[in-house]
Amino acid sequence: MSGISAVFLRRRIALSAVAALAIALTAYTGSSSAHGAARSSSAGTLVVDTSFIISSADPARDLDPTGYIVDHALYDTLLTEHGSSTKVQPDLATSFKASPNATTYTFQLRHGVKFSDGTPVTSADVVFSLNRVINLKSAPAYLLAGLKITAKGPYTVVIKSATPNPAIPQIVTAPALGIVNAKAVMAHGGSDAANASKTDHAGQFLDQTSEGSGPYTLTQYSTNNQITLTANPNYWGPKPKFAKVVLRDMTAASQLLNVQRGSNQIALDLSSQQADSLKNNSSLQAHTSASPNLFFLQATSNPKVSPVLANHDIQQAIRYGIDYRGMVATAGTGAIQAAGLIPVQFLGGLPTSYAVKQNIAKAKKLVAQSGLKNPTVTLSYPSDISVNGLSFATLAQRVQYDLGRIGITIKVQAVPVAPFLTAYSADKYQLVQSYWGPDYADPNDYLVFLPGGSVSSRMDWPASANPALVALGKRAGSTSNNALRAGLFKQIQEKLDQSSPFFPLIQPAQAIVGSSNLTGVALNPSWLLSVAEVGTK
Amino acid sequence: MALSIGIVVVSFVLTHMVPGNPALANLGQNPTPSEIRVFDQRNGLDKPLPVQLGLYFVHLLQGNLGTSQQTGDPVAHDLSMAIPATAELAITSIVIALIFGVGFGLVAALRRDGVTDFVLRILSLVGVSVPTFWLALIALYLLFFKLGIFPGGSRLSPTDTAPPHVTGMYTVDALLAGRWSTFWDALHHLLMPAMILAAANMGLLTRYTRSAVLEVMEHDYIRAAKAKGLSRRTVVFGHILRAALPSIVTVIGLAFANVMTGAVLVENIFSWPGIGQYGYQSSTTLDLPAIAGVSLFIAVVYVVVNFVVDVLYGVLDPRVRVE
Repeated sequence: MSGISAVFLRRRIALSAVAALAIALTAYTGSSSAHGAARSSSAGTLVVDTSFIISSADPARDLDPTGYIVDHALYDTLLTEHGSSTKVQPDLATSFKASPNATTYTFQLRHGVKFSDGTPVTSADVVFSLNRVINLKSAPAYLLAGLKITAKGPYTVVIKSATPNPAIPQIVTAPALGIVNAKAVMAHGGSDAANASKTDHAGQFLDQTSEGSGPYTLTQYSTNNQITLTANPNYWGPKPKFAKVVLRDMTAASQLLNVQRGSNQIALDLSSQQADSLKNNSSLQAHTSASPNLFFLQATSNPKVSPVLANHDIQQAIRYGIDYRGMVATAGTGAIQAAGLIPVQFLGGLPTSYAVKQNIAKAKKLVAQSGLKNPTVTLSYPSDISVNGLSFATLAQRVQYDLGRIGITIKVQAVPVAPFLTAYSADKYQLVQSYWGPDYADPNDYLVFLPGGSVSSRMDWPASANPALVALGKRAGSTSNNALRAGLFKQIQEKLDQSSPFFPLIQPAQAIVGSSNLTGVALNPSWLLSVAEVGTK
Repeated sequence: MALSIGIVVVSFVLTHMVPGNPALANLGQNPTPSEIRVFDQRNGLDKPLPVQLGLYFVHLLQGNLGTSQQTGDPVAHDLSMAIPATAELAITSIVIALIFGVGFGLVAALRRDGVTDFVLRILSLVGVSVPTFWLALIALYLLFFKLGIFPGGSRLSPTDTAPPHVTGMYTVDALLAGRWSTFWDALHHLLMPAMILAAANMGLLTRYTRSAVLEVMEHDYIRAAKAKGLSRRTVVFGHILRAALPSIVTVIGLAFANVMTGAVLVENIFSWPGIGQYGYQSSTTLDLPAIAGVSLFIAVVYVVVNFVVDVLYGVLDPRVRVE
């Protein structure tokens, strides 16, 4: 699912102007959906409209939002989550045991589970599937970095980590770690060998046929048109309500119109404003909530790139100079101020009461204290994308205005996302407005923000800058007791809020809209929607 | 041929000069150096640009357009799926534009300065000047959302299944398979985007046809034809339109250019999985082989269309036939 690259590049809701026009067009009609004819679906077919971001239906090659929806329906994982909850639940594994130091996890597999072709699922399939992810070295490979997977009998799988890793139960819920039918995939060119990145040719095969044990099977696949899923007759769990699920690649503007005319239909990419305009429509249900995505500012710590930002007083002035409330209001119903870097709905997320509050007097004082005259900073942001319907330009302009009020001149620099990413990674920017989407619902995914971490290193914040914080991060990332871990992550974020080159801004609003007769219309932080959990009232 | 090679070279070099990194664009937010290395090796990005270009041409001669980084499938396969979808849309739209454009232009010229002429001229002006994406959204809103006359995008209803693949054009394939309901469904989905795509060309053709016909009508032989008592129909279709056709054919070359650019917008708005959408998505993900493949295809279309237009000149006007 990741944030600032695959999603950035592919989520071309660059048709935002188009969407805006569509909002304007529909604004005055509000709830004019009485045309109710079931045009786009019949009983037994669920239609899900979304802007496709998918590169493969092969779980081992897939880390994209649409791919995650599809793979979550096609493939079982060792553990899973239900609805919008991030609580880990049994799936292929009925139970697991962690060693006290959180380095060894032993999973007991469910008996009697069969793949869609009738072959029984065993530990060999799990080992093959996970090793294949590691050795393919495709986008999801990093999820299993440093992990070793072995079988202990036909129904026991052991995952060992070189360092303590309490995030493992959460990580194995990722649809990219879906369990494939080893025999069938090997028969079609699949490999889990060390050289799989060169020898595995099963990607195309898995784009045509699914080889999983999940609630659905793949019947039609196209990355820019339509993906059709059919209920798996061999599924071990509760039968899904819909015999057929059709995912269609639609712009947000089309989704807004389609969901109002269709039945058994869900739209995934509407902005919270669009969703709000549909709340009075009795034939629809519209839910808005805080998305687990995080908008933040990041300053360089390299005095050669910006002597202004390397000044601690200026960093703190920025922190207190921003009008967070105004920003939340701009982002629409459901958005919240991010108190820390970890989303509030995750373990270790800081409640909003901890959030930094704007204090103009204090910020002005800090600017004066810095001793710098007319401090000027360039703020760069990706210009051609939006996240949860919110454009970076909107927030960048707010930052420019807010910091202008405390005496820091901001020059905004809009850069198309592809060159933006390259320059961002090469420490070329002074101040960046960026975003992070969770790869899995666990605070360990945010360790990259600590000094020396991969995100911090982009703008030259080395481990040597704050060794105590690095040590605390190591402890938090390896503690197996979750209550203790949550406390440590909260501490870390409070420290980051006191002094760091990161400025958490907001968690934007996310929306899901569906026909009112549907149940299970809920957004999951990892795979957006579990189509198998959608039913009818 | 030389033109196509030139276009491929230019598009190849330009896309490689964009200061973006395809590996970063495709590997999520946390790629390790070894993942980036594997990605670059897999896609041949670790070699110098001239070598990459040379290899591209060698593979091209073998009919291999490379593998799309975005879909993971061979570009030739992706194109073979996208081209029929665009062809179906483009041909339908050109036919609509020709019938209405030439018809309106002829009527406007024959009723010169009358109310009909005035209305048709306004209509053609609107067709030429209104942005395609705006027209598409208005049509979607009115004809789909408010009135429900047409479906709201994509090639078939979700409840229908695609006909067996023969040409890739759903209307044709459905007819070949004898599936009438699928044929109507496909046609129903095809008409609105095709009409939107036709709007600009219709305006263009109306204007050109009108002025070409007016020019021909001034000639003495038309007056002579009328004077010797030929029927109005023979004069209009046998003499006036025949003489005006070469200028109209010139416009068809332009019309194809309009269809190719318009397809990017219309296909995106109507979720039509054709070349326009494929090209758009590959350019936003820096999918270099796919961009080169799409450029090559469009170059070939232009070359072929211009060739056909040149041949048609000869057919229509004996004076320009090669001795």
